[in-house]
Amino acid sequence: METFWETFKRHGVSRRDFIKFATTITGMMGLAPTMVPTVVRAMETKPRVPVIWIHGLECTCCSESFIRSATPLASDVVLSMISLEYDDTLSAAAGEPLEEHRKKIMKEYWGNYILAVEGNPPLGEDGMYCIVAGKPFLEHLKESAEGAKAIIAWGSCASWGCVQAAKPNPTTAVPVDRVITNKPIIKVPGCPPIAEVMTGVVMYMVLFDRIPPLDSQGRPKMFYGNRIHDTCYRRAFFNAGQFVERFDDDAAKKGWCLYKMGCRGPTTYNQCGSIRWYNGLSYPIQAGHGCIGCSEKDFWDNGPFYERLTNIPVPKQEADADKVGATIAAAAVGGAIVHGVASKLRNSGKKEE
Amino acid sequence: MRIEEAKKIYIFSLGLRIWHWVNFLTIITLFVTGLYIGRAFFSGPTGVEATYAYEEGLTMGFIRKVHFIAGYVLLASFIFRLLIALFSKRDRLVLPTFWRRNYWVGLKEITLKYLLIMRDDEGHEYIRNACARTVYPLVYLAILFMIVTGFGMYGMSNPSGFWASLFGWIVWFLGGEFPTHMWHHWIAWLIIIFAVLHVYFVVREEAIKKNGELSSMFNGYKFFKERPVDLDDIK
Ligand code: HEM
Ligand code: HEM
Ligand code: SF4
Ligand code: SF4
Repeated sequence: METFWETFKRHGVSRRDFIKFATTITGMMGLAPTMVPTVVRAMETKPRVPVIWIHGLECTCCSESFIRSATPLASDVVLSMISLEYDDTLSAAAGEPLEEHRKKIMKEYWGNYILAVEGNPPLGEDGMYCIVAGKPFLEHLKESAEGAKAIIAWGSCASWGCVQAAKPNPTTAVPVDRVITNKPIIKVPGCPPIAEVMTGVVMYMVLFDRIPPLDSQGRPKMFYGNRIHDTCYRRAFFNAGQFVERFDDDAAKKGWCLYKMGCRGPTTYNQCGSIRWYNGLSYPIQAGHGCIGCSEKDFWDNGPFYERLTNIPVPKQEADADKVGATIAAAAVGGAIVHGVASKLRNSGKKEE
Repeated sequence: MRIEEAKKIYIFSLGLRIWHWVNFLTIITLFVTGLYIGRAFFSGPTGVEATYAYEEGLTMGFIRKVHFIAGYVLLASFIFRLLIALFSKRDRLVLPTFWRRNYWVGLKEITLKYLLIMRDDEGHEYIRNACARTVYPLVYLAILFMIVTGFGMYGMSNPSGFWASLFGWIVWFLGGEFPTHMWHHWIAWLIIIFAVLHVYFVVREEAIKKNGELSSMFNGYKFFKERPVDLDDIK
């Protein structure tokens, strides 16, 4: 395979633009400016990496997000940085020959290709809830993973299970790392993940020929090391105790903190507050809606999204921790008074010998 | 019962008594500030630019700061409590003695007493009754849980920092940061419910036996009519 620089040259990109590009992506990958020469060298010498991109139980929002990457452009990544050999959603019309091609690529680049998994395998009914190329996705996944160098788990589906795994999880959908245990797996959660985070991860892997530094949950540290809350531009309102109480109140108009509207920013690790969405244009909180924690494990079961606290299952009641706690504490006080009076009566008079 | 007939026994060391009241004050502070953090039931100063409002009056930022300072005090006093237990036998009274017969006899007696079947002046006397022996260790565990989850959440603003490397694991153990917040919140209520019952049973003991129960956490002494069966635990 040709190197990135060769590909760029073939496309008529000047040396100057090439260096600019290398500088930009160094920043996007969260690396220090001193790393620019390393990135340039890597782009001049490293061959493009073959990628097999498969789709399980999912909504394709990860692909939708990916194609909107602006720095670098998704087209640059797909056309000049990786060599996207297989994507069943994009090339469904190709039919049988595509499957042949996947097998050929796997054989040719055994141990060298990257497997990108979007969506997850449902285990129920022997995997019959998701069929790809006439076979359960579960088998498709296991087979494709066998010769992979590393696996990228795109989005909350592949990383955590996501909405299809919400209680009671009728299809027994499980994250990829429950099925594949012998390969390095990079989790890139989010529903969908931010486009620049996706391309950033891919670039890091192909340029440095290794997986990015991961946290204890398998997520790249440089993109999942911050809570939205700690990067949110509305944080000053949080600290000042200035909160939106209703979506149509004055505070909402003024852009105060959405904490009391159930914002999950304080418990969510993602780059929305800093990289933001659509080429840095905006992100949900900027648009006036709280974060729902879409990149967190089990976010789908941690509702209601518009309440700060979850409900505790109490029959025929909407009750959160404070309501239940205060009720029990009051009952304890009441019980203590009654028990106290009764104890006094029981112990009055002389001890019966 | 007249005081002269009773034996006055020194039970609680000075260190334990200081720990108890520091612990009480910090937990009340943590609970009140924590409730506000979980449900901001009043607004901070309005009509002021947020950047400056931060420094004015009872703001979320200030209340969180108080919570965290009290959190550090709670941690320090917890470590202090462990240390005194290491060095003096009387401060190990908290350990439940499951392996002894008198624990089980005591458990039966205290249950019958609380069910009002048995009078409080019947049965044996104990330095510490079996119910308290069972519950206090759980309270220490609950406090430890609050410290671990609290410093876990606190530390995760820098996942590779000191607190996160010490206690960050709890966040993932509990299934993520949101569930950690909820657990921290639920156990906060559990501790307060314990405190209500705890104060009740202390006052009840005092009111019925007049044995200096209530003042024991101030001066260290309680009064007994006969030799308590678990006297060896502090000797
Ligand atoms: C958050 C509130 C409180 C907590 C967490 C708490 C916790 C504890 C614990 C863990 C012990 C056992 C100490 C040991 O031997 O290791 C204890 C004993 C004691 N506490 Fe508290 N306490 C609280 C509030 C109070 C209050 C308000 C009073 C006073 C009315 C009180 C009075 C006592 C007394 C008299 C004892 C000795 C009881 C005995 O011998 O079993 N406590 N407390
Ligand atoms: C018995 C002791 C404690 C009690 C009763 C208590 C109570 C609470 C409560 C009710 C909350 C609100 C939870 C929520 O809904 O998010 C909270 C939050 C919190 N507490 Fe505690 N807490 C205690 C100890 C600690 C300790 C030792 C620390 C360590 C520094 C700590 C750190 C925190 C943090 C970081 C938060 C989240 C603050 C935020 O989201 O802005 N807590 N606490
Ligand atoms: S809007 Fe959400 S993320 Fe932003 S400061 Fe408020 S609670 Fe935190
Ligand atoms: S703000 Fe929260 S819910 Fe919205 S995209 Fe970012 S992480 Fe997901």
